[in-house]
Amino acid sequence: MFLDVRTIATALLSFLSTACDIPKDPEGTSERIASTHELRVGVTDNPPWVSATHGEPGGIEAELVRKFAKNVQAHVLWTTGSESVLVEALKRHELDVVIGGFEKRTQWSSQAGITQPFAKDADGKKHVFLAAPGENGFILNLDRFLTERQRDSGGAS
Amino acid sequence: MRSLPAQPEAEAELKKAHRLAWLTLLYNCTAIAMLFVVMGGSQALKTELTGELLSFIPPVLFLVGDRISRREPNERYPFGYERAVSAGYVGSAVALLGVGAYLLVDGAMKLVMQEHPTIGGFPIFGHVIWTGWLAYGVLLWSAIPAFFLGRAKRRAAETLHDKTLAADAEINTADWQSATAAMIGITGVGLGYWWTDSVAAVLISLEIIRSGWSELRTSLGDIADRRPLALLSKDEEPLPDMLAQSLRRRKWVKDVVVRVRERGREFTAEAHVIPVGEDGLLDHIRKASANPRGIDPRLAELTIAPVQEFPKDIEKARRRAPA
Repeated sequence: MFLDVRTIATALLSFLSTACDIPKDPEGTSERIASTHELRVGVTDNPPWVSATHGEPGGIEAELVRKFAKNVQAHVLWTTGSESVLVEALKRHELDVVIGGFEKRTQWSSQAGITQPFAKDADGKKHVFLAAPGENGFILNLDRFLTERQRDSGGAS
Repeated sequence: MRSLPAQPEAEAELKKAHRLAWLTLLYNCTAIAMLFVVMGGSQALKTELTGELLSFIPPVLFLVGDRISRREPNERYPFGYERAVSAGYVGSAVALLGVGAYLLVDGAMKLVMQEHPTIGGFPIFGHVIWTGWLAYGVLLWSAIPAFFLGRAKRRAAETLHDKTLAADAEINTADWQSATAAMIGITGVGLGYWWTDSVAAVLISLEIIRSGWSELRTSLGDIADRRPLALLSKDEEPLPDMLAQSLRRRKWVKDVVVRVRERGREFTAEAHVIPVGEDGLLDHIRKASANPRGIDPRLAELTIAPVQEFPKDIEKARRRAPA
């Protein structure tokens, strides 16, 4: 059938979430990125997800971040640090995203926003980004990007 | 059967109350499962989940209390087991107060910590939509059936004079109120105001705490044999005055003090009577106390104690301004 319930439901749902421009960011992250073209990303070394020991950060997650930044027409401002320092900065809205091989059940889930998983590792653990808490429009945007690129990166652990 | 108001519809009403209790348990499971699925890693709906978990307590207490209260009196429990329902009522009242207190503390903490609730995307049919839209559906499911369950229980509670059931109805009310508050909160969050979720929860918590506190006070009063109060309105129960008046009208009665206590679903009354004389006193007493259920379907026992003068404490319990 050309139009089944699922297409209608999907169309309706995506209409709801895009046309109404809801949810918004309480701290205006999306708008800030649109005007400054800067995506502020915290990285903590955790290969193969993120390697941040020297030079520009690399790894699976760093590549994803670059692609996402391109999508929102921004360049990435990298900050290297420990998990706790970066999460603190995230909470103060000094960073937009933090990457470092975080799993869905990360201890930071009560303090930072957790994105949709973009990959599953060999143990079946789902990997996520941390995002500025409560910046729901920005997080939804990131969730859409990550879900599209979700793939089974088996072998990595 | 013991422990039931002797009314023709009581038996049917009790069956209905049982069905309602089981239905509530099932319904709570579905609401919790839905909340759990939609919540994912987000903290925003956690408060609602805690409320739903606490709503398991009253229906369980009702079912257990009802079972125990049916037992016949024995040597060890010479007054029977009716107070099991009173105990269940205390537990349900504590649960209700707990729901309110949790909402208040949780909401206030989030406001103080300026915690921005994260409500991100949810993958469905290969698309990612805002979790907030799904949360509306889940919260409607936490609100609408709870509203009707509460109404049905309140009606059954009145017929059965079962306060555990009445408190259970109050928990259902708290559930639909807090779910409605959460919907308002999520709307605010969607519009970019992070604090609306917590503010709505704190405001509704005040109403739930008020109701929980009132139920807890009533339940503790019942256990302390306070003068009975009407089940839902919490106004004074007219039975003690009615009993005193009907006894005082009898020719053989010179004066009377009536004390009524609430024992679960039942009332037990004690009347201290100063008789006019001793002629035929035993017959008079037997006639007056023979059929307490005929006086009030909830009155299980009427004990009449003839005295020459009222003991001091009985005198203190006397109604100063009889209605």
